[in-house]
Amino acid sequence: MIKSLQAIQAGRAFALLAALFVTAFGAAVVLLALDQQRVIEATSRLQEQTVPEIIRFQRLARNLEQLRQEGERIFAVSSHASRQQSMFVVTLIASHPSILEHPGAAQLARETEQFLGDVVRQAVADDRRPAMRYDEWQRLAARLGMQVDDVSIQGINLANNDLVVATSAMKLARSKLMMALILVGVFLLGFMIIVRRHLIQPLQQINLALSTLSADRPAPEFKPSTMLEIQAVEESICEHHALLIQNEETRQVLEKLANKDGLTGLMNRRHFMQSAEVELQRAQRYRRPVTVAMADLDLFKKLNDTYGHAAGDAVLRAFAELVQDTLRQSDLVCRYGGEEFAFLFPEIGPAETEKLAERLRARCDAMEVPLPDGRSVKATVSIGLADASECPIEIALKRADEALYEAKRLGRNRVVLSGPPVPESAFENEPDTRTASLF
Amino acid sequence: MSRAALVFLLCCALPASLGSGALAADEPALRVLVLDNAPPMSFRDESGQLTGFSVEIARAVCSEMRVNCAFDVVTQSALLPTLSQGKADIAAVGLLETPERRTKMLFAKPYYRSMSLWLARSGVSPGQAGVKVAVVGGSAQEAYGRKQGWEMHPVATHGELGAPLVSGEAQAVLVPMITGISLQKNAAFRQLDLATTVLQAPELGGDASFGISPYRPELQKEINAALERIKRNGTYDRINSRFLPFRVS
Repeated sequence: MIKSLQAIQAGRAFALLAALFVTAFGAAVVLLALDQQRVIEATSRLQEQTVPEIIRFQRLARNLEQLRQEGERIFAVSSHASRQQSMFVVTLIASHPSILEHPGAAQLARETEQFLGDVVRQAVADDRRPAMRYDEWQRLAARLGMQVDDVSIQGINLANNDLVVATSAMKLARSKLMMALILVGVFLLGFMIIVRRHLIQPLQQINLALSTLSADRPAPEFKPSTMLEIQAVEESICEHHALLIQNEETRQVLEKLANKDGLTGLMNRRHFMQSAEVELQRAQRYRRPVTVAMADLDLFKKLNDTYGHAAGDAVLRAFAELVQDTLRQSDLVCRYGGEEFAFLFPEIGPAETEKLAERLRARCDAMEVPLPDGRSVKATVSIGLADASECPIEIALKRADEALYEAKRLGRNRVVLSGPPVPESAFENEPDTRTASLF
Repeated sequence: MSRAALVFLLCCALPASLGSGALAADEPALRVLVLDNAPPMSFRDESGQLTGFSVEIARAVCSEMRVNCAFDVVTQSALLPTLSQGKADIAAVGLLETPERRTKMLFAKPYYRSMSLWLARSGVSPGQAGVKVAVVGGSAQEAYGRKQGWEMHPVATHGELGAPLVSGEAQAVLVPMITGISLQKNAAFRQLDLATTVLQAPELGGDASFGISPYRPELQKEINAALERIKRNGTYDRINSRFLPFRVS
């Protein structure tokens, strides 16, 4: 269900969730507050109204008990004066508003007053009469006692109502509190799940993608995210990946450009020197034969002057093509100078290299280079070879260059192999002139 | 800023302490009027100390309010003018609240309930011709009697009510219930063997309250609160039991 929702802003999503939570929790708090209010009302009612009522009932009970005691006294004493006094109190109590308020008590008090009044009057006439009526009095006294108990209990029970209300309200409040806590728990759980699913896990995937981001690996794939912010980050990661690939391609292009000679498409000198160095070291490590050569197009300047630079370029291009066609896959060749070319032939010695070089010379000689204006030109090449299996590249090239110079001197359009190494002093006088067939 | 807050707090505290109305121990005491010779509500005991139900209730209320009370003894007839003129603060007497009295003074919440008794020989009923009724001058009973057109025989204090009957100057006496209790303790009075009738009339019975000077309205709330407290904490009941044979609340 979550996936089918359109992506929304994380901020808005959480604001919505928070608003929902606040509303729900607020409602729970309001409901709780209502219960609290009921409890407060019940207890304050208890304190302000019910307790005075209870006290009133207690005083009523006390007065009824007093009635009974005065009645006992009337029967107990023998002097008329004392009886009169007690009777007076009985009259007052029976007419007091506190007794009259309570119908049951008022009724019983009136009865008691009449009975005791009779007894007192009779006692004036005959002193023994009271004793005879004592049994009757005891029944009345018992009823008075029960009324006292009733009134007391009535008073105490007044508190019950308020206490029951308070207790039920508190119980309700307790269950509401429980619900509120469960609500909080559910929200927290939901919140954590959402954060985990829609924030933490996407972030983890983003982290994983970023750590393995490279031009050689494919672009990272993300599941469609629900948070706009996460989506934005994921898109920018993909863009970054595309950029990496682009950069890599550009780099490769630049590298190639940096290594090539623009006109002929052959390696440039720098690249050749690097590669030749590597190849030479490999050959010398494994004691394999390796030969270098220097070639120079004959009378190239004259050709440029005669036919123009465009023709010269065409010749160079044609020669380069020829070279690439003639040479083996493993051979290195570069445009060393304007019309100079350097070669490195791995795995073959000078004798076989000479054969190869000869083939090249012959094909160049036979080649006709068509010009844009319809004419065609021919060119020849002079090649000097040198063994490179036991010396550094610069020395080998130098010797090949000397062989080339010899080839030029001998009349051009030929291949000359450099002889064994000559002591340094000899170089100052004249170049080596021995031919290739020495080896 | 903290200093300003302190000053602000002090300024808040001051009016609170001034407005509480509770007087410190060394402040001027409340002037309380009581009746003389009106047992068991207000009388002097063997050592000459003022005591009685009303007096002790007044003392308990003053102690609950944490003020000093200075008692002044007056007669019933002098009571109302003294209070309404502001020469006293409280009248510690069980006054029935009548519309006429309400114009002259304030009333606290009632501290007991009373009714009036007609004491006379059996056969002597109120309104009969030739019946002189002894009453305390200035009391509600006197006002009622005059309204009924009876012949009045006023006396100054409650304690003197018995004498006119014993001497025969009066044939009946109209008393508040509690005064009747003390009359009955008098042997000479008892020998008259008078019959007791309770007279039910709104002017003669009902709630009895302390009176408050109209110039001290702020006392009303405090006295009522103090009364409520002593009714709940047992002080009232102890004083009730000390002076009266039953609960008069």
